[in-house]
Amino acid sequence: MEGQLSSLVITKEDIETIDELFSQYLVDSQAKDIILLNKSGELLAKSGMVTRDSAIAVSALAAGVFSATNELAKLLGEREFTLTFHQGKETNIHISLVDPLILLAVIFDNKAPIGAIRFWAKKISGSIKPVLEKMASGPRQEPSQDLRKGLQDEIDNLF
Amino acid sequence: MSLIDFSKSEITFKVVYYGPAMSGKTTNLSWIFRTIPEKVKGQFTSIATETERTLFFDFLPVELGTVKGFKIRLSLYTVPGQELYKLTRKSVLKSVDGIVFVADSNRDRREDNVKNLEDMFKNLADYELPDIPIIYQLNKRDTPAIMPVGELIDDLQLKGKHVYLGIASSGVSVMECLKGITREVVSKI
Repeated sequence: MEGQLSSLVITKEDIETIDELFSQYLVDSQAKDIILLNKSGELLAKSGMVTRDSAIAVSALAAGVFSATNELAKLLGEREFTLTFHQGKETNIHISLVDPLILLAVIFDNKAPIGAIRFWAKKISGSIKPVLEKMASGPRQEPSQDLRKGLQDEIDNLF
Repeated sequence: MSLIDFSKSEITFKVVYYGPAMSGKTTNLSWIFRTIPEKVKGQFTSIATETERTLFFDFLPVELGTVKGFKIRLSLYTVPGQELYKLTRKSVLKSVDGIVFVADSNRDRREDNVKNLEDMFKNLADYELPDIPIIYQLNKRDTPAIMPVGELIDDLQLKGKHVYLGIASSGVSVMECLKGITREVVSKI
């Protein structure tokens, strides 16, 4: 059995903290983009020049790559691979597991040496972890009854 | 796993189109992509082989509209139907909120439908997702050697389930299925 994932709830304060951290790391690490996503491929936060539309597609693909890599890990007798790295002519992407549900994708240009990429990915991951732990353990903001009812009543009007 | 983002007032659901090879999963997504207005759809990403068979998945993000101040978004995925890609299929199913099972109505695909449905339930059990909403589209109703609906329902044990008769290539029941599964996933929130 591989564990059911319930709804993931993000508050305004969570995002503000993450945005602040990412903005700082974007300057310090000279990464092009930093993207936080969950294992089902949803974009949680992004920083850098990447557009929201592109970040949404990157998230779906990065989670897919990560998930497929982990099926490969299992075939090789490994429980899980915790990172995957792709190197191109102009751009590199480093995808790593931050917590059991969340992935971090950091995109660099080709000027960054692999060692620096790994260093910064690990550092950003370490900084973001307490925020995610707080998110998981803090009081859970739930959708209101009004919203639940609205969804039931109005969903047909959206089509 | 639905994602509720209070900072952007958004709720996102993951819906996967599952089914045997060539049953019309990508055709469903392509129809949706062609039909819905430009401003509500994101990039259509498809990872296909050179012969345009799905290798990994297709992905289409859609923004349905706003309910009580919350934007409702769907992330639509397909899986590769071929037996060869069993593990890829499983990986796409991770954290899914709802499934549209696209069955091929042709009699010679009978066994593939059953095998693929069993494979889906096994994967859902592995992920501990036994109560995920599923709707069924019996597709390709316009082809010559199709099974009668009743027989197909018996075969796949779909009595009492949400079943739609589809011709995805011309859009028949495509949007109805999307609406049906959306209604089901939002009821689970």
